[in-house]
Amino acid sequence: MQQREEKQLEFALDNIIQRVNDLKTSIASMIMKVENEYENLNWPNFLDNYALISGQLTALSKVLSHDKCPVLRNLTVLPLLLSPERDEQLAQSTEGRVTTFAHDLVPDYLRTKLEPMAETKMLQIEHKAGNLTYENAQKQVAAYQKVVVHVWDIVNKAREEWEVESSSRGNTQQNSSVADTHLLVAAVGMGKGLKMGTSPNGNPTSGGMMVAPQNRPGGSGGSVPIPPNTQSVPMNKAPSTIKTNIKSANQIHPYGR
Amino acid sequence: MPRIFFIKVGQNYIIIMSAAPGSAMDSLSAALKCNIIPNQEYLLQGSVLDQYVEVLLHRLRGLCDNVDSGPESFHDHELSFALRAQGSGAAPMVLPLRVRRALDSPESPWQLRYVGQQELGDKNRPTVVRSSIDMACSSTIVEFLTELGCRMDFEYIARGYMFRKGRMKITVSKIFKMGNMNTKPGEGVEPISQSYLVELSVLAPTGQDAIAEDMRIFAEQLRPLVQLEKIDYKRLGNMS
Amino acid sequence: MGVTILQQFPTENRTGPDTIELLSKRIKALGAMQHGNFLVDCETYTSVPQLGHQRTVHVLHNSEQPATVFSILDTGTKTIPLATDGLFDLLMMKMSSFYTSKKQTKAESKGPRFEIGDFCVKLGTITVSSNFKGILVEVEYKPCVVPAMCWDLMKEFLQGFLGFSVPSTPPTYLQNRMQELYTPIDTIHQYLEQFMIYRKSPGIGVRT
Repeated sequence: MQQREEKQLEFALDNIIQRVNDLKTSIASMIMKVENEYENLNWPNFLDNYALISGQLTALSKVLSHDKCPVLRNLTVLPLLLSPERDEQLAQSTEGRVTTFAHDLVPDYLRTKLEPMAETKMLQIEHKAGNLTYENAQKQVAAYQKVVVHVWDIVNKAREEWEVESSSRGNTQQNSSVADTHLLVAAVGMGKGLKMGTSPNGNPTSGGMMVAPQNRPGGSGGSVPIPPNTQSVPMNKAPSTIKTNIKSANQIHPYGR
Repeated sequence: MPRIFFIKVGQNYIIIMSAAPGSAMDSLSAALKCNIIPNQEYLLQGSVLDQYVEVLLHRLRGLCDNVDSGPESFHDHELSFALRAQGSGAAPMVLPLRVRRALDSPESPWQLRYVGQQELGDKNRPTVVRSSIDMACSSTIVEFLTELGCRMDFEYIARGYMFRKGRMKITVSKIFKMGNMNTKPGEGVEPISQSYLVELSVLAPTGQDAIAEDMRIFAEQLRPLVQLEKIDYKRLGNMS
Repeated sequence: MGVTILQQFPTENRTGPDTIELLSKRIKALGAMQHGNFLVDCETYTSVPQLGHQRTVHVLHNSEQPATVFSILDTGTKTIPLATDGLFDLLMMKMSSFYTSKKQTKAESKGPRFEIGDFCVKLGTITVSSNFKGILVEVEYKPCVVPAMCWDLMKEFLQGFLGFSVPSTPPTYLQNRMQELYTPIDTIHQYLEQFMIYRKSPGIGVRT
């Protein structure tokens, strides 16, 4: 009988320790994130972490309130030997947080009741609550309720506005117009709306725009008026600017082989 | 003794090892065979309303390569010519040619360009593809084309900004109709719409279809501000 | 880039390679060093009848400006020059249903390229569709860009190694442009002028 109880206790303790360890690592990783990745940590990610921790807490309390779990409250932990010396085994099992099992630390770690000061404070508050009249309490509850409802409304309204705004941005593409695209493409590609239409422009050379620029001004310098040309009308010199993006390499044509 | 040459074709340089001088045409056909001439244009088009163009420019500034220098502005005059003749069959032969010049940089070479029929391809092809021969030329080009037998069909002014992202070129331009025949270009022009034309294009040798996928991904990043799409000219032609 | 003069050199009874050898020896004797070779070529395209009155486009390449394609459009009443980058050749292919080339008109000048002080000398063998037509000497005086200011000097230099076959007047193309700034397209014009003459002339009959 005793053996069975002991086994049960051992099992329960193992279980609890495991849950607590899980909880500990999640908290550690969250702290790590907050400290090191605060620049690019996003809110959904943060909430995910938080949900994980709260889930682990729930699991832990489930284990504690389980039928099979012995009532831990009934067990006593008795410090048998206090020592101011450093205890390596203890330091290792607490990851260096507790190094000595000495008189100044033991009361804090093995405490099962509140600190005396806190205890008196709690007593006072409980006393005050007990003395409160029913009407007064009701009034205060109503006042709180009002504030909470008000805040709730504000938040809801803001959310609605955001949603409307973002949905309108996503759906309507008022930045461009299909009709304008077609108009522009047809104009540039086929001259739609740009042609001269009925202008008396039968002769292609007569258009005002068709006049080729006269001798390029850049070429002036030492040039003086040309004597009348017997061969042809004065012709534009092809600008020599194109001639060499590449220095001629002795000879050879483009694609020379 | 072999020599090495750097030859500029369009915006790219071609490196050729050469042993002896040869005719330009022989070498051109060799270059064509090696498929090193960028003669395909991959294109996506869209537009943005005037009031959102600043937002678009801001986004492009963040996405594109020329971040520190800022966007390159341009103010161009484009003329569309066509060489036409009645062929032996029923169908007339047409060769479209575009001339473009920078109004804000009169000393720059002009640009001559042949743009072929666009191919939409099937749904899986992310961009329009059309053949394109693009070259710098002297300012005599307009007179040259006119005397060659070309007729100017239409002209317009495009003013806006150019961005680069790798091999991709993005232009955001306002299109203006030329004013009165007697006014100089740049004067008395009126915008033809309340939007800016947005074009995403790459000039590449034939068969480099991987670039089209890059373009699709880039266009995706500009949504929903601009919808860059394959636009079918033929369907636009039928619309009233 | 300086002023450039093109000058035919009579082959008399020599073959093309012999003439080039002779001139190379002379220029080397003056202290010139050979710096590679050069090539100028010209392809001529004519418009199809559907395009109305006939026009001609001459497309030229010069190894001195390897990234540029020069075109000269001749409408019969005027000529319009155009300089573009190398892809113009590709565009001419696209134009093949409007402008067609006659294969037997392809003209070339190619040969050794020498440098001597401020001068650059090119000894070109002219062929029209692979038939030898003659010898064309190109001399460039690099420090000067106004023909009128260096013509006398260049004439003297030319006479120095070509002898008195050099005329005392500048080439016809330059005569009206002696005071203008000289640019690469002017060299192209001179080559075209020479190529047109050689195309009309009967072949000398010696293949290079």
